[in-house]
Parts: sequence; C-alpha cells; structure tokens
Amino acid sequence: MLNVQWLDIVSVFAWFIAVYMVIVIVFYSVILMISMLQLRKEYQLDRIQAYEDYMDEFYTRPVSIIVPAYNEEAGIIQSVRSLLSVNYPTFEIIVVNDGSTDGTLEKMIDQYEMKVISKVVRKQINTKPIKTIYQSTILSNLFLVDKENGGKADALNVGLNFSHYPYFCSLDGDSVLEPDAFLKVMKPIIDSNEEVIASGGSVRIANGCEIKNGHILKIGLSNNPLVIMQIIEYLRAFLMGRIGLSRHNLLLIISGAFGVFSKHWSIEAGGYKTDTVGEDMELVVRIHRLLKEKKVNKKIVYVPDPVCWTEVPEDMTILRRQRRRWHRGLFESLWTHRGLTFNPKYGSIGVISFPYFWVVEFLGPIIEFLGYIFMVLCLFLGGVYIEFAILLFLLSCLYGSLFSMAAVLLEEWSLTKYPKVTDIIKLFLYSLTETIWYRPMTVFWRCEGVWQMLIGDTSWGEMKRKGVSK
Amino acid sequence: MINQDILFLAIITLSLMCLLFLLLLYLTIRKAKEIKKRREIEDYKNKINTQIFSIIAEGKRYRGIGCETSIKQKAMEELLSRYVKILEGEDEKKRLSDLASHCLQGYYRKRLKSKKWSHRMNALYHIEDFYMIKLLDEVVILSKKKNITHQEMIHVLRILATFQYNGFQEVLYYHDLSEYEYRSILMRLNHDLFDQFVLSFHKSTPPLQYAILDVISLKKAIEYRFFTENIFMSYKGEVKLRALKALAEIGYVSNIEPYLQLLYSSSWQERMVAAKLIGSIQEEKGIPRLIELLHDQIWWVRSQAGQSISQFPNGKAILQSVLETSKDTFARDMAWDWLHKGV
Repeated sequence: MLNVQWLDIVSVFAWFIAVYMVIVIVFYSVILMISMLQLRKEYQLDRIQAYEDYMDEFYTRPVSIIVPAYNEEAGIIQSVRSLLSVNYPTFEIIVVNDGSTDGTLEKMIDQYEMKVISKVVRKQINTKPIKTIYQSTILSNLFLVDKENGGKADALNVGLNFSHYPYFCSLDGDSVLEPDAFLKVMKPIIDSNEEVIASGGSVRIANGCEIKNGHILKIGLSNNPLVIMQIIEYLRAFLMGRIGLSRHNLLLIISGAFGVFSKHWSIEAGGYKTDTVGEDMELVVRIHRLLKEKKVNKKIVYVPDPVCWTEVPEDMTILRRQRRRWHRGLFESLWTHRGLTFNPKYGSIGVISFPYFWVVEFLGPIIEFLGYIFMVLCLFLGGVYIEFAILLFLLSCLYGSLFSMAAVLLEEWSLTKYPKVTDIIKLFLYSLTETIWYRPMTVFWRCEGVWQMLIGDTSWGEMKRKGVSK
Repeated sequence: MINQDILFLAIITLSLMCLLFLLLLYLTIRKAKEIKKRREIEDYKNKINTQIFSIIAEGKRYRGIGCETSIKQKAMEELLSRYVKILEGEDEKKRLSDLASHCLQGYYRKRLKSKKWSHRMNALYHIEDFYMIKLLDEVVILSKKKNITHQEMIHVLRILATFQYNGFQEVLYYHDLSEYEYRSILMRLNHDLFDQFVLSFHKSTPPLQYAILDVISLKKAIEYRFFTENIFMSYKGEVKLRALKALAEIGYVSNIEPYLQLLYSSSWQERMVAAKLIGSIQEEKGIPRLIELLHDQIWWVRSQAGQSISQFPNGKAILQSVLETSKDTFARDMAWDWLHKGV
C-alpha cells in the first residue's frame, strides 16, 4: 500500500517535469522556426552594401558612446581605440571612471593627453557627484568623466547626463566593436523614422580570436571547453531566442554588451536603476512599460549581425559568479515589474514575454535542477524508476543538446562567421555533450543564485579581466 | 505505457539527432566547397587584377577576360566593386561601367529573376554601383511585380532615380515611403526631374514635402531660394521649419526682417533654426538677440546660438566677453564650449 502511494508521488512529479519540458521544447521550436526563416532570407546578402548608404547620409543621428570603467586598466585603452576607429559620421566617446582604484584614470589621461575642462552637467538623473571632467586635446570628441564610485548603473547615468547627442550606447570596458557596428544598429532606427527607439546587436565571444589594436584580425575558436560551451550558449541565445522575440516586439533584453537607446526615452524612464544587478534588462523593461502606459507605438529591435565581441570567463569560479549574478538580475527585474505578468493592459509584453521569462528563463533552471536530482535518485532506486530516469534524460537531451546543435548549424547555414570546417565540427560535437556536463553545471549555479537571494546574501563578485587584445 | 513513451521519445531524439548529423555533413561539405571556391576566386582576382586596372585606367582593349563561370563572375564583381569605390574620373567610371556591362549583364539579368530575395538585392546593389543603365528595362519590369518586398522597391526606385528614368515621378507616386527613403531617392535626381517634384510640392504628402526641402538644404540649392522662401511664408509647423533650415543652409534670404522676429518665437525649434540662419547669413543685426539666446532654457537653442555667434568674424571675442561677464552658468558653459570646439 505504502509502496503504491510512493509510486504515485514519484510519477506525478516525473510527469510534471516531463510536461514542463515538452511545453518549453514546443516553445523553443516555434522560436527556432521564426529565426530560421528570418535568417535564411538574408543569406549571402551583401551586408556592407546595405549599410554604405547610411554613411554619407547627412541626417544620420549622432550617437554618444558611454564606457563605464571600473578598474579596467588592462583593456580600456584598447576599447577606446577600437571605438575611435568606428565607421560612423558623428559620435562622441564618454569614458566614465567609476572611482577606480587602479591606473585606469592615469592611463587614459596619459594616452589621450586629457585636459581638465569646466562644464556644467545638467542633472536629469540623480547620480553620485562628478569629480572632474576631462577632454582630450588630440580628439575633441573624447571625454573622460571622473566620479565617485557608485557602481556600473550610476556610471552610466552620469554618462547619460553628460552626453550631448539624442542616442547613446553603453559599452562594457573590454568589448571590441565591429567597424560597422553603429551603422548596423542605427539602421533600423533611421529606417523607421525613429519609431524604433532602441536597437541591439548580437554579441560574440572574443576569446580565441586574434585581436590587435581593438580590431578583430582573425576569427578563431578557443581551445578551452568552457569557452566553447559559452560560444554555443551565446549562439543559441542570440540566433534563436532574440531574433524570434524581436520579430514580434517582445524583446526584453538588450545585452549589456551592445545596444543603442534613445536618450529621451531612457531619461523619461528614469535612467539606469542603481540597486539591481541587471540594470540593462531593467531599463528595457521600464521603457517597454512606459511605452505601453503612454500608448505610443515605438519599438525595440534586434539585429542578427554580430556587432560586438566580448571576453567571457575562462575558469569555473568566475563563470559561476557571473551566472549567479545574472540569475539574480533576472529575478529582480521580473519581481520589480511583476505587475506586468499576465496583464492584458501591457499587450504582448505582459501576456507573452513576461510569462516566458518567468516560466522558461527563471523557473527553468530550478525545475531542471530538480529533474537532475530526480534522475540520479531514480538510478539508485532501480526497477521501474530507471524508466523515468531514461524518459527525463531523453527529454533533456532534446531540450539542451539538440537545440544547441541546431543553433550551431543555423549559424553555419546563414551567417557563416567561423572560417574553418573544423570549427563547425568542433562546435557541433561539443554541443552534443551539453546535456551531460555544461547544462547541469550552469543550472546548478543559477539555482545557487536563487538560494543566495533567499538567504539574503548580497555580495556580487567582481569579474577579473585579463584583456583579450594584444 | 511509460515504456511506449520512452520508445517514442527515443525514436524522436535519435531521428532528430540523425537529421542534425546529416545537416552537419551537408554543411561541412558545403563549407569545404565554399572555401575551395573562395580560393579560386582569389586566384583569379590576382590573375586579372592588373589587366582590369589597365582597362579601366588606360582604356586598353579587353583580351582573354572571360566571365563564363560563376567563379569568374564573382571575381569580376568583387574587383569592380573595389575599384568603383576609389575611382574619381568620368572616363574611368564610364570604362568600368562598360566593362561591367560586357561581363556581368547576363549574370545580373538572371539574378534579378532569381527566387532568392538576397540574390535579387545583391544584383540591385551592383547594378546601381556599376551604373549598368542597359539593365534599366529589367529593373522597370521588377518594379511592376506584385509581390516585391519593400526593401527591393526602395532600391529599385533609387536605381531609377540614378538612371534619371523618365517616368520616375509616376512610379514614385504609387508608393508610400518614409521621409528618409524619399530623401535618399530624391538626392539622386538631376535638376529636371527634381523640378517636377518641386512643382507638385503642394500636392505631395508631408514626408515627401520634408524630403524635398531637405534635399534643397543638403544640396544648398540656391536656385530654389525663392521657392523655399515662399514655402516658409505660406506653411506652418514642420514644413515651415524645414524650409527655414533649407534657407539657413543656402545662406541667402531677400529680406531678413521676418527671420529676425522668429528669434523671439515661442517654439524652441523655430528659435533654434532662426539662430542657425542668422549665423550662416552673418546678419549683424541679430547678434544682440543671439547673445540673449545663450541664456535660453533649451539646450539646443543655446548650443545653436553659440555656434552661430562663433561664425561671425568677431564671434570669438563676443563669446569670450560672455564667458567673462555673464552670471548665468549655462550661458558661460555654452560660450566656453564653442570657444573650445575642435581643440
């Protein structure tokens, strides 16, 4: 008798996980199809040609590039250099030194012959006080703002207050931009006559590529398995997820690594929020919310072209910290704006995007984690339970590995960025192993993030960069 | 029951896995082929490069330049694309265009009829770049197709504008474009065809009107100054503002008085563009008001006032005195800004 009941509980639980996975699989498949059609249409399109026209256009909107820097002495000069050679008619670069304790400030001042200027900054968003403002004597469009430490979001807000142009973009300290990055992301904004108010591009991983003076010389593949898995993860997230979501204006994330926003709307939405870990997602959600509340027809879009190369963690400890932080950031954004969930007033954002982010992105790892524990338990229990374990394992293969493999193939089918045949085979074979090690690992870390939040641990953990550029 | 499910799932997973492996096989073969093809294209490009150069630069005869295979066509296309960006002289451009027609006309004709959107788009890009006017008829035919995408249509219109196609105005009227798109198309028209649009200005939709005025302002087309002044006098709102902007670019008006009054307008956009106009005409009578506008509450107006003042011969001195005497931090800041622009 007792045995029967026990079996019931176990099977209800197994079915719950299985049904959850099937739903998510169906959802992913739909998104995959949408992305596939979109990407395929542009296969072999001469993209440089498509952007050329925008270059000599007098009316191209000027952009302010904000680079928040906290202890970035390893990479700051390189990133600024890569920004200076960007192919765009009018832009300014604002490096915001967020009270670094290393030589970031001195390095910048030396390299670009910065000189103190006195300027009144209009405080449209409240921030920590600015100490000094510098302007380069060699390049009049390069500024350096030195301020008291207040975190990345605060630094971005200072940059926003200081910026002169109607559009801005925030860039992480150690990212390398493609030369045409701005043309690519500004294109939808100009084309739509400013109906599009924010636009992001896809981010690729720079580890393993040959970079010199802030330019990608050769695209390559790292030999570190962790990095390869992250490449696959990014491909999957950007190629599949975001293109699919962007088609229907459901986009909730513009990656912190690269996106252009309208300054007007960002300030109206209140700028970056300082007490959250995921300030970029938070801002996008707030802008969406503002748009719906004001009932204006504006859009946020995503460009599939890779526009920005960024460095990712190469060892477990840092990757673990990053994942924990991401997951908490996600939760905080969703929680702050929980009122949007299933709220028809907010249209498709409330009815589709928010539930998606809650169910798939946030709860997903927790349910998967339970699934993994369950699988291991079943193996020990033996008998009929083995079958449950196999069932779940097959589902998670579909869920993890197969979609990643599809993403790798989708990349090769449409964008073909990796030059060698072996690169693709390597990526493909690695993605095959995802279910066995990488996915359980990241799922576990995400759950740790949730746990930390529950027990109220607020340490963030810094990301130490070694500098990808030579 | 569960056994059946497992079997079912296992079959699905395995078959999908097989499918993906097949796809991988296909893609790797494709990639290997592509790499080989790329090498052949590069080889051919190296081989014919000097010859192409002497054809374009010195007008040598074509000899032994074949474009019969897709590799040779692609190589030719890439070489010509590179040259077309750096060429300056009219003769050279003509020779390049002739060479392109000689080698690639048939290829693009076929590509324009391709089922693939990206093939058609690429063909359109190159037809415009190489100025392949012999393909005009094919482009016109494409423009009449029913299921043409918006992006293709924009490009077709650009090409028709570049080729100064006679029936251009009628074609354009059938389409509803954005201001930006109109502008980039109208920019390509010669004087005669553009005149037609100026003549029918009053009948045009607002985006087209904005675009017409913007083109006048971009081209600094002084021959349209009376037209633009008329528009400025007889319209309101955005059209009026654009006309004002065009006048500021042209840098000439018959009577300055109404524009001086506009410096006191209640709309900040009008104050700003009026300040721009005063600066570009360098009308001394406007200086006192420009100095006042340095205190304007709108940043854009202050900035424009600063720029306009700096355009006067004694502008730097005026800004310097504002910097030293003004009590308003915003005005001082703006004066400082324009004194230090382009350091």
